[in-house]
Amino acid sequence: MSTRGVSVVGVGMIPFGKYPERSLADLAWPAVKAALADAGAAPKEIDAAYCGAAFAGMLAGQRILGRIGLTGIPVVNVENACSSSAAALREAVLAVRSGESDVALVIGVEKLSKFGGGTIPLEEEDWEVRQGLLMPALYAMRAQRYMHEHGLTREQLAAVAVKNRKHGALNPDAQMRKPVTLDEVLASRPVAEPFTLLQCCPAGDGAAAVVLCASTLARRFRRDPITVAASHLASGKFVPGFRDMTTPEITVRCVKEAYEEAGLGPQDLDVVELHDAFTIAELIYYDAFGLCERGTAGEYLASGATTFGGEVVVNPSGGLLAKGHPVGATGAAQVVEIVRQLRGEAGERQVDGAKVGLTHATGGGIAGFDHGACAIHVLTR
Amino acid sequence: MRRESDLGGALAGGEISLAGGALRSGADGGAMLVGGRCHACDTRTFPAYAVCPRCMGEDVGEEAMPRRGVVYAATTVHVGPQRWPKPFVVGYVDLANGVRLFAHLRGDPPIGAEVELDHDVVGRDPDGTPVTSFVFRAVAA
Repeated sequence: MSTRGVSVVGVGMIPFGKYPERSLADLAWPAVKAALADAGAAPKEIDAAYCGAAFAGMLAGQRILGRIGLTGIPVVNVENACSSSAAALREAVLAVRSGESDVALVIGVEKLSKFGGGTIPLEEEDWEVRQGLLMPALYAMRAQRYMHEHGLTREQLAAVAVKNRKHGALNPDAQMRKPVTLDEVLASRPVAEPFTLLQCCPAGDGAAAVVLCASTLARRFRRDPITVAASHLASGKFVPGFRDMTTPEITVRCVKEAYEEAGLGPQDLDVVELHDAFTIAELIYYDAFGLCERGTAGEYLASGATTFGGEVVVNPSGGLLAKGHPVGATGAAQVVEIVRQLRGEAGERQVDGAKVGLTHATGGGIAGFDHGACAIHVLTR
Repeated sequence: MRRESDLGGALAGGEISLAGGALRSGADGGAMLVGGRCHACDTRTFPAYAVCPRCMGEDVGEEAMPRRGVVYAATTVHVGPQRWPKPFVVGYVDLANGVRLFAHLRGDPPIGAEVELDHDVVGRDPDGTPVTSFVFRAVAA
């Protein structure tokens, strides 16, 4: 199969937060306009659009693009739980690679405020959900097991929230902009033990957008295009019996394939946006990405390796814990952050000299799977 | 044989059972869980499904699950829908036949603890209707 390179030439997002008075379409069109302006692209240059959302209902992409007259082009709406817009991005990459599309738009959007708060609603047809499984409980059991097997302490776990809230305080697009101390994290109200409230990503609303094009066309839009070095999607495997809940098999498999596609490894990463829906997730993914030796993620974080000045800055945006996690918007927003980092546009939270970045969005709480979907992108300048 | 779609209806006793046909009375009158076993590839599942999730075979029979198991992981939950009384304890229980199942736990058993099947009220709907299911209870050491 002959393929061509793909570049990111435009990104935009709205600050994540709570916008109960805004419709989904009105959340998203400002992010789309920002991405088009960032690319210097005229609306008529966009020849396909891919919209990721988990709880948006029918035809989210058309509802959004109808607001701004960007209609008549092929629009695909993608639902893949927390990976929705990351999976949408992958579809756009495939379309551009193949030559089917020259300039494609990706949108990620979600409005969680419509649920009025609480844990996100899961699929009621699912056996374990019927019995009472909730996302915080699922991640809490991973945490309990990791603590049991590797001696991780409650303080080491809570330190993830302290780091990411410190990062988020530097990000004007973050939902939670106040730094917190370890004591504040541990003293916040219990959610699912060992998690306290500040160890869980906040519910909120948000939208992000990305403009992609064939690399041969990229300099028509910008002189600093970012290359998509890998775009990979994996689905979980159904296992009716025992599984190791401290090893996210879907992420281990997906990142291995993404490294192969990009021709690089964990030692090459400068900056990572990963799926820290709960504190334990970030630590488990350090292991899964090969950033540290398995079981040592707590010490690795404590060493300072994953904050500014460290060997690989993880979640400079504040991650899901601080930037927020409007489910379907997350994958696209991670790409917005990495592109800004690679261009040197990240302001106070700039990772010095960042050349290689990775995004990771995974999720879905359904029985028999560790997660339903995982999408990883490697971006380079 | 009961299918998943049969589960969860209101019973004559004015309760909602989340276990449906998967929870029955054993010969001794105690609680018994019935799952599935694929006659082609021997994969066991709980609950039972009409098709084998490993080999697609539809020759799936019933199989009684062991009544005792070991806690793989557990957590005490303080949030969630109104149906669940806060806090409540849930976990994954590993059975000797290779099945892992998710259940409400009783007696706060830690990882590695032996637990035994029982039947209990696990929640209450907003109109007061009790919600019941199978639970696993810590076995006295």
